[in-house]
Amino acid sequence: MDKIVNITLLGVFLTFVNPLIAQVSQVEIRKESKTGYRLYKDGQPYYIKGAGAKSQFGLLAKSGANSIRVWSTNNEAFLDSAQHYDMTVCLGLYVRPERTGMDYNDDYAVKGQIEQLKTEILKYKDHPALLIWGIGNEVDLRYSNFKVWETIEELAQFIKKVDPNHPTMTVIAGVDPSKLYMIKKHCPSIDILGVNVYGSIENAGLNIRRYNWEKPYIVTEWGVNGPFEAKTTSWKAKIEPPNGIKAKQRRRRYEDLIYPDMEKCFGSYCFLWGQKQESTATWHGMFLPNGKPTEAVDVMQYCWTGKWPGSRAPSIQDISIEGKNWQKEHRLAPSTSTTLTIEYEKYNNQDIEINYRLFPEAFTNKIGGDRQESPEEISFQITKKSDNGITFTSPSKKGAYRIFAYIKNDKEQYSVANLPFLVE
Amino acid sequence: MKLRENIAFWFIGISFIGCQSMKEISLYGSSESQSGYDSFEPKIIFTDSQQDGVWGMKNTPCKTIHYDTIHSFYGKDHLHIQWKQTSDCKYLGMGFKWGNYKGKNLLPIMKDCAIEMMIRVDEGKFTKIPMFFGLTDYSGKQCMSKINILDIEGGFIDTTWRKVLIPLPSFNHEKKEVNLANIKELRLEFQREGDIHIDRIRIVPHDHNFKKTNTRFTKIFKEHPIQIGQGREYWWGVNSLYSTSFSFNDESIHERIYANISEKDWKEFGFGVYKWHRADISEIASSSAISFILDAKEMPKIQTTLVAYTGPKRRIQKTLNTSNYIQINDSSYQICIPLKSFAEFENFHWNTLKEIRFKIIEGSQFEMGDFKIIEFRGNPKKPNQWIRL
Repeated sequence: MDKIVNITLLGVFLTFVNPLIAQVSQVEIRKESKTGYRLYKDGQPYYIKGAGAKSQFGLLAKSGANSIRVWSTNNEAFLDSAQHYDMTVCLGLYVRPERTGMDYNDDYAVKGQIEQLKTEILKYKDHPALLIWGIGNEVDLRYSNFKVWETIEELAQFIKKVDPNHPTMTVIAGVDPSKLYMIKKHCPSIDILGVNVYGSIENAGLNIRRYNWEKPYIVTEWGVNGPFEAKTTSWKAKIEPPNGIKAKQRRRRYEDLIYPDMEKCFGSYCFLWGQKQESTATWHGMFLPNGKPTEAVDVMQYCWTGKWPGSRAPSIQDISIEGKNWQKEHRLAPSTSTTLTIEYEKYNNQDIEINYRLFPEAFTNKIGGDRQESPEEISFQITKKSDNGITFTSPSKKGAYRIFAYIKNDKEQYSVANLPFLVE
Repeated sequence: MKLRENIAFWFIGISFIGCQSMKEISLYGSSESQSGYDSFEPKIIFTDSQQDGVWGMKNTPCKTIHYDTIHSFYGKDHLHIQWKQTSDCKYLGMGFKWGNYKGKNLLPIMKDCAIEMMIRVDEGKFTKIPMFFGLTDYSGKQCMSKINILDIEGGFIDTTWRKVLIPLPSFNHEKKEVNLANIKELRLEFQREGDIHIDRIRIVPHDHNFKKTNTRFTKIFKEHPIQIGQGREYWWGVNSLYSTSFSFNDESIHERIYANISEKDWKEFGFGVYKWHRADISEIASSSAISFILDAKEMPKIQTTLVAYTGPKRRIQKTLNTSNYIQINDSSYQICIPLKSFAEFENFHWNTLKEIRFKIIEGSQFEMGDFKIIEFRGNPKKPNQWIRL
């Protein structure tokens, strides 16, 4: 009789509980050679084709991505939405960086943060979309107190204890021997190194090996060179390459640097599948503030699938004022008639539309992707418009400005370029 | 029986005397601080709308605050605060007049008291609320603190009234140079989105058992010579799994590496000056040089880079020339690189020295080691003359 009861209970358990357990992905790291590793999800090799994303998940999945990266646990909907589109999530645990005022010598603040994040770990550890824990993002950026690594390790240890299904990762800004030493020494429970690399992606794989990192890594943010790496004008305005130039850079970096490193690299998350103000409104974002995609989206689809989308955005290759291109400085007199020209690829588009917008320069001292305010648009006079440019009247007020050219097709796929100029 | 009675009598008697002579122990630390709390009068910050003044009650599209009479914890009513930050809201906050704005001296209670409040929400369960607490002095300076999960009763906020403490030592008053002897008010500032009920805010004794240390991760050097490059774990660029360019000489006391560089192999290595901490050599930098021994048949061409953790110029470089080499014998040289000979010596933060790296521009086989920072008081352009002296 007891036996029958036991079997019945087991049946009930398997019927109701097992499907819930089965939904949790089993993610593991396997060592496949002396120095090589591979990521496995539910027993199958899993290469991350991902994006740092908070929206447009449908288009992301359609473009060939299989994972998103988010920087904090403040929105459960991201995980649910990712799961809906059959994508996984690299879930960030927001460990406060020292540069935001966090004092890692203050036990009260440190222990409080750890306990708070432990509740987040317990809350999300069984979410079916969870792939990897990202413990902290760029906590090393301009830091001075290395005790932050103790917090990272304590959280990683806690994850190891309560969640054996998902690997741990911490994400640093750039690749640096001191940081790799600190993580290796103080964070033995970290399984994967996440690196946010923009200009420094060129030597990231080499440096990870030179700096003695033995475990696997993920390129957790990459894209075009960031504003912090850009050339500036003499009035400190950052010079942003046109979308067309940036698109080519993205493709080369994926094809030549990320994808070939199968030995240690588990894949990547491009930055940024969305929009944000970082020096300009168009620097990193693959979408515009109006939510429309730029040609960077097409490039990522090509990287992930090897195929261009049926409808491609046009592509601005160059932008000039008075014949001087985007790499040069531009100084204008107030209220002067000025010629701006753009060069672009139309691709297979029949109809395209070009618009121009003017903004004051958005100077900022923010770093590391910290939140920046967007400037207010300024109205200005266009006196002549052609297929590849305009003649406009420069502002009457002296100061630093930035003019944007937007080109779009009938599907509202965009390419953008801008030029900073000084009215003096 | 009598003996037993006697023992019992004496036991009870001694116990009684013992109890009488027991020292009274404060639940909240020293008796001195207890008196600080006792003599602090404006203990009540908020009880209800009739008792205590509040500013910032004007409702905006981003924030509504009203007195809610339903299900209060204490008094006639309590505060119900709802907010949602948008770009239209320049300031999302409110304040408590706390003793009708009378200047309050918090110094005697600062170490062992806390602001206590009761908080609940209408639905859900939260471990953090995006709100901040500010103590403002009469010069307008303000120090901040926030809710810490460690001081939420039960570890979360939900629909039941829960006690939340903000320990006074958790305010960053030193950093913000707030005059704690003359505090005007308590402010609440809000971020993002929230919807909470608050009731009975008061000062209570509180044992805040957390330390603030002063760990700096900086090693100060004031004397020569400084042996550097000790400990292989602080080196990079020497990794036999990927490159045969550099390998450690196992027989040397001080770290030495052997170079055997082929055309497409690694050509750089480096090490943390002091365990990857900040090395502060600012007091001796102007009279210092980097020194090492190099054994080679042909002199390699080497570029040295110094890296600092901070500063306007975080990397400075120098390519070695003949003046940096002092021949010891047929195949051995002492290398001397005065720090002053690095371009932009003045713009380098010598108190945050991080790393020394070497790039081999020309040359393939040599050995180098015994890295030191030595005293150097000669002409930075002619270091070999100083060494010969």
